[in-house]
Amino acid sequence: MNVAPVIRRPLASLKNSLRKQREIRRLLATTTEPTSNTSAPPPPPASRSTKPLPESNFFTIPDPKTKQLRTAFAVYSPPRSQPTVAKTTFISTTINPPPPQTLVQAHHDPLPALKQKQISLLDPTGARTALFSRTNRDAARVGDVLMVTHRRGGEPFAGVLMSIRRAGIDTAILLRGRLTKVAVEMWFKIYNRNVAGIEVVHRRKKPARRARLTYLRKSKHDVGDVQSLVFAWKRSRNVLTTGAKSKGQRTGVKGQRLS
Amino acid sequence: MAPRLPARCWRQLQTTTTTPATTTLPLRPQCASIRPLSTTSCVAVKYGWTTLPKRSRPTRFNAATAGLPKPTAGPAAALARRARTTPLRTGVLAVKKGMTAFMGKSGTRIPCTVLQLDEVQTIANKTRDKNGYWAVQVGLGTRRPIAVGAPMLGYFEAKGVAPKQHLAEFPVRNADGLLPVGVQLLPDWFHVGQWVDVRSDSKGQGFAGGMKRHGFSGQEASHGNSKNHRTIGSAGPSQGSGSRVLPGKKMPGRMGGERVTLQNLPVLMVDNELGIVVVKGAVAGPKGCIVKIQDAVKKAPPAQEFIEQTRKLVEERFPLAEEQLEAARKRHLELKEARRTKRIAELLAGGLEGQAGIEEVAATFCTSL
Repeated sequence: MNVAPVIRRPLASLKNSLRKQREIRRLLATTTEPTSNTSAPPPPPASRSTKPLPESNFFTIPDPKTKQLRTAFAVYSPPRSQPTVAKTTFISTTINPPPPQTLVQAHHDPLPALKQKQISLLDPTGARTALFSRTNRDAARVGDVLMVTHRRGGEPFAGVLMSIRRAGIDTAILLRGRLTKVAVEMWFKIYNRNVAGIEVVHRRKKPARRARLTYLRKSKHDVGDVQSLVFAWKRSRNVLTTGAKSKGQRTGVKGQRLS
Repeated sequence: MAPRLPARCWRQLQTTTTTPATTTLPLRPQCASIRPLSTTSCVAVKYGWTTLPKRSRPTRFNAATAGLPKPTAGPAAALARRARTTPLRTGVLAVKKGMTAFMGKSGTRIPCTVLQLDEVQTIANKTRDKNGYWAVQVGLGTRRPIAVGAPMLGYFEAKGVAPKQHLAEFPVRNADGLLPVGVQLLPDWFHVGQWVDVRSDSKGQGFAGGMKRHGFSGQEASHGNSKNHRTIGSAGPSQGSGSRVLPGKKMPGRMGGERVTLQNLPVLMVDNELGIVVVKGAVAGPKGCIVKIQDAVKKAPPAQEFIEQTRKLVEERFPLAEEQLEAARKRHLELKEARRTKRIAELLAGGLEGQAGIEEVAATFCTSL
């Protein structure tokens, strides 16, 4: 980072750039971390039966009066279980064989794992997740002004973040802005491929005390046009990157570009 | 009956059989030229023409069905009739786990259902000779033996598989669709992009009115309507049209809780590690319900190479399935005999061949603890 422009920067931009740096460092930490952790346990070996019979226990049914053994049935193990000493030699009256480690016990609910897979596919850098994560201190919060760049929408849409609907891959945000002087609310799925970028234009001074700012729909509380905030943000970004003066060569911090 | 053609019209045609007119006109009495030695089949029809199918040649001298066309009813005819709409290979049972969405390449959101294959094993084969049709019986999950009755415990013992939670049959077209007993079917039985039919029981809605059950419009909110906003209107015309309710009239009643088949759902994802098959769209029933998945009937079956590949994979994973089944059967017969003669207790105490004796069992059990 060169020194000369730093002197020219206002303090607010310095704060902004520091935030970006912190974010980038955190992101790098998260993106490098899984690579060490992805050495998941190898999948269980294919159930290749080598014995003539799969292992079995005996389920015995006692006589209710005499309590003597009345009858018994061989109960074979599920196809994927691993043989153990205790299991092969387990004989008891009212049997409850130790449950073998089956696929469904390992992944009783496959949905969280599937969700993780999908998100890592759609958000390889983790930027989208981080921008709306509850744990990230620099995440966008309700009340901030965001700008969403859509691959098909043409103009980027800017508006106040009214609510975040957290639903895994379906996580969506609701922005309230203005189009041709008409108040417009738009939902964006944050993991959608058409959402090219989400950038925080302006941060609310104090965190909102509601999760969903539906009161913004009342004219008394409506934020109105956010274009002035967007222009101010663009100007500060140009100062940061010195793009306005050096023929538009932007090489510095580009805001929170997603993927 | 169609009016009979006068003889002068067709006699000419009969003599000149090579003209194309004879092929289009279903003329019956031309058999004399085809089968000059036959004296039985064409006795009845001498004149005129008929739209009835041509009678087959008698095969036996005194057969009751001699000369009649092949029966269109009965087991063989039913199988032949259904052959085209019977899948080539078996399906699987699965558990509905919930819904999620995939994001398409162009940004479209594709809702999908996650179905998990929990210890899906083949249990038995139904054959044309023994059962009258071709099918594979497939089991899902595991059930504690205490929750299984003795007859079914014996059944699973004979098959050499663990007691299953749920059993179902999947019809297949012919013997090529049958599988060895006891093999496990994993999600890679299907491939991404293929079409499947998914069957399950829908959620029961209880006694529902006409608006919910059949989508009736209901009645007005105002204009003098009194306490009849959601009731069905008329049940049909009155006097002059019979003054009765026609059979099948849609009315309030029990809704849901019936089997729903969803045809032609594309498979979006197949994951052996998680044991899941993800299909596009919604599947009837609550989470945790049992679902049958099979190749779609109204689409072309999967490629022959794929079918062979999955079959080979199954045989590679379970090379000893046949021997195991045979051994389990043999053992089942021994145990069955022992149960019948009340010798099962001493058999267990004495230890079976290949099984540890009870002292040995106790010793190893103690050491393992």
